[in-house]
Amino acid sequence: MGSVPEDLDPVIHAPARLRVVASLAALGRGDEVSFPKLRKLLDMTAGNLSTHLRKLEDAGYVRVTKTHEGRTPATYLALTDTGRTAFADYQAALMDLLKGAQR
Amino acid sequence: MTMATDPTSGTSAEPGRPADGGAGLDPAETLRLIRQQQEAARDATEPDGRLLFGAWGLAWLIGYLAMWTTARETGAPEPWAGWVLAGCIVGATTFTIVHSVTRTAGLRGDSARIGAMYGWTWFLAFTALGVMLGAMGAAGASPQVMAIAANGFACVVVGLMYIAGGLLFEEIRMAAVGGWMLVAAVLAAFAGMPNTYLVMAVAGGGGFLAMAVVEQVFRTRRRSAGSPGRAESGGQRA
Repeated sequence: MGSVPEDLDPVIHAPARLRVVASLAALGRGDEVSFPKLRKLLDMTAGNLSTHLRKLEDAGYVRVTKTHEGRTPATYLALTDTGRTAFADYQAALMDLLKGAQR
Repeated sequence: MTMATDPTSGTSAEPGRPADGGAGLDPAETLRLIRQQQEAARDATEPDGRLLFGAWGLAWLIGYLAMWTTARETGAPEPWAGWVLAGCIVGATTFTIVHSVTRTAGLRGDSARIGAMYGWTWFLAFTALGVMLGAMGAAGASPQVMAIAANGFACVVVGLMYIAGGLLFEEIRMAAVGGWMLVAAVLAAFAGMPNTYLVMAVAGGGGFLAMAVVEQVFRTRRRSAGSPGRAESGGQRA
């Protein structure tokens, strides 16, 4: 265990995506949040959030569900099980780094 | 994948680089930011226990104190006190619904489904209770018996619903309030008129208000646990 940042998942280890993943991880396992609600919570622009969500979706960490509410299209986001595991691993790696640094 | 072209993910390899917006290499700071972000996410998606406990605490305290003070003088509560109590309950109900619906808007899935069923169960339980009390009155129950039944059964329903909510939402403090409400139901039943109303105000309303304070204490403690020492998370793995 050491100070090597390769321990840290590069998909999550970017400030904006870390905030996205942390927020989604705060939801219940079977829950989804709408795109506008997540955007407001993170205070990011729609374009910026979309870009990061696409990267997370490509990595298999986030599930994007497109649906319709009445006639308006709606998008819902959730963390996949893979994403939850990756986030847990990321936090564990941070804590290992911290313990290493304190020693 | 496009990691190499991502401007935010590369170049974090130098330790101690401060201007990384948080996910740089200070693990303590990053963990603190994670906790902060998750707290903000919960604030945006979950009802605030302090507000809900506070609203119900005030409603019971004010409403039942009005019942008690007027019943103490004349033996039976004045009609206006009944209206004050009804107004307090309606107010707290409205606040609970508006607050919960606002906070959980934009969410769907298991929690939303369970939350909706839970809300409707409150409605059904108190409708059934009202009808049963009506039937008891029609069958000739005295005002004394009616008062004990109305207060005691209301406490029992509230107690069981809070315990159920505590189990559903994994909120141990909510279940604890439910348990206390069952105690209050028994105390209210044996207090006798008009002191039943005082028990409802102090044990019932006071119980809710105490929980609002407890919620605040836990919140403050969680917040300060996010600062440098972080004994909490370090301790979990040690």
